[in-house]
Amino acid sequence: MMLEKGLEERTFYLNLGPQHPSTHGVLRIVLEMDGEFIVTADPVIGYGHRAHEKMAELRTYQQYLPNMGRVDYLHALAYNQCYCMAVEKLAGITVPERAEFIRVITSELNRISSHLLWFGAYLLDLGAFTPFLYCFDDREQILDLLDRLTGSRLTYCFYRFGGVPVDIDDDFIAGCRAFSQRLRSRWDDYDNLVTKNVIFIHRTRDVGILPPEMALQYGVTGPTLRGSGIPYDIRKSEPFSVYPLFDFEIPIGERGDVMDRYLVRLQEMEQSLRIIEQALDKLPNGPIMAEKVPKRLKPPEGEVYTAVETARGEFGIYLVSKGDVKPYRVKLRVPCFSNLSVLPELIKDTMVADAVAILGSIDLVIPEIDR
Amino acid sequence: MPAHTVIETVAAIVGPEKAVPVDYAATGCHVRVEAQPEQMPALAQAMLAQKFFLESLTALDLMESFEVVYHFASYFELCRTVVHVPLPVGVEVPTISAIYPGADWFEREVFEMFGIIFSGHPNLKNLILPDDADFHPLLKDFVASS
Repeated sequence: MMLEKGLEERTFYLNLGPQHPSTHGVLRIVLEMDGEFIVTADPVIGYGHRAHEKMAELRTYQQYLPNMGRVDYLHALAYNQCYCMAVEKLAGITVPERAEFIRVITSELNRISSHLLWFGAYLLDLGAFTPFLYCFDDREQILDLLDRLTGSRLTYCFYRFGGVPVDIDDDFIAGCRAFSQRLRSRWDDYDNLVTKNVIFIHRTRDVGILPPEMALQYGVTGPTLRGSGIPYDIRKSEPFSVYPLFDFEIPIGERGDVMDRYLVRLQEMEQSLRIIEQALDKLPNGPIMAEKVPKRLKPPEGEVYTAVETARGEFGIYLVSKGDVKPYRVKLRVPCFSNLSVLPELIKDTMVADAVAILGSIDLVIPEIDR
Repeated sequence: MPAHTVIETVAAIVGPEKAVPVDYAATGCHVRVEAQPEQMPALAQAMLAQKFFLESLTALDLMESFEVVYHFASYFELCRTVVHVPLPVGVEVPTISAIYPGADWFEREVFEMFGIIFSGHPNLKNLILPDDADFHPLLKDFVASS
C-alpha cells in the first residue's frame, strides 16, 4: 500500500548546513531523503558573497591586489600569482627570473599548507581526531616561514606587478630545507595512522565515484579531477611562471573515488616538496622587481585570460581593460564553483554519512565559491 | 586538438570569418569565435564532441548592449577557445545547460548579476544573491554603496 502511493509521499527534507561542521564554511545543502538515502541534493550558496568582482571595477589595479588573498584564503598565493600574471600580460611587464623562483617556492609552500589543512579537517569530518594534531603541527612550520617573509599567516598579499617586494634570505632557505626534510620524515606516520587504517579505507574506497565523462561535463578540475585519472594540471598542461624548469609528476587516481582523491593530494605534497627543493638549488641571482613599473598603472585596451593551478583546481581570471586605471571587468573563475556543482550527482543514492565523506573529499572553500 | 581543427569545426556553425586564431601570448586564448545567440547550443554540442570542458561563462555590460563570453578548454591539449556572443538589451540566449550541466550555475549567476535571460534554462533563479533580490549588481549603472 505504501509503495503504491509513490516515492514522493515517503520522502522528507533534511538541511545539511548552513552551519554544519563538515561544510567548513557557510554552505547549505537541501537533501531530499528517503529514509537514510539521499534522493536529491540541492546546494544553496551565496552566504559569503562579498562582491569581489564588483569591487574590481571600483578599485585601481593595485588596490585590488589585497582582494586576491581573500577569495580562497587557503591558497592565497596562487590567486596573487594569477592576478599578477593577468595584469603583467596586459601591461607588458616582464618579471625577473629570481622573482618567479620566489613565487614558485612560496606558492608551493602555500599549496602544502592548504593540503595539510584539508587532510586534518577531512579526517575530523570522518571522526578521526589525532591526525589533525599531527598535520597542524607540520603546517605551523610553513605558516612561520611565510609569516617571516610576507608578514601574514593566511591572507597573503605578497606578489607585486613585476615581481615580489622582499627577497628571501639564507634563514628562509635553511628553514625551507629543514621543513622539507621534516615533512618527508612524517609520511610514514601519515600512512600508518590514516592511509592503512581499515576504518578509513572502508569509509573511502569505492565511495563517491566521479567518472571522467561527468567531470568533463561539469568542468571539474584539480585533485578532484585527477583522482578520476585525468592528468590535467595547469602547471604542466599550460605551463606558467618557471614550472617548466622543474622535474615533478602529476599524481592521478584510477577509480575516481574518495580514496583516490585523498591519495592524489597526499602525493601532491611530496611533488611540491620536490619543486621547492629544485627551486632552492637552482635559485638564480638578480633583481626581484621589474624596472620601471609605473605607479599609476593603465594597461592598454584589451582582454586576457590567465589560469593557475591552485590546491583545489584551476583558478582563472578573465580581465578586460578599457585603458583606464581600473579594470573594466574581472571574472574570477574559481575551481570549487564547478567542483561543487557536480556534488548532487555524486551524493545521489548514498547515505548521509557517505555524503559527508564525499563532500569533504572535494576540498571546498566556500567563500571562494561565493566570491 | 590543434587550433585549426577547432576553427574548422566551429566555422561550420558560425561562418568562416567568425572563428579566427589569436595570439596566445597576449590574450591567453588560441581561438576567438564570434557567435549569434541562437548558434550557442550547436556550438556547445560541437565543443563537447571535441572533449572541451566549459571553463567559464560570464558577461560584459557594454552600456548599450551586452556580450556573453564563454571560455572552453581541454584537459588533453592546450587550446583555449573564447566565444563572444554580442547581445542587444532584451534579447535572450538559449541555455547550454542541457549540453554542459556545469553551465547551469554559470548561467544562473549571469542571470542574477546582469539580468540576462537564458531561454530554456530549467531553473533560472538567483544563485548567489538572496532569493528576493531584484537588482543586478554587475551592471555598470548599479551603484555600490561605499
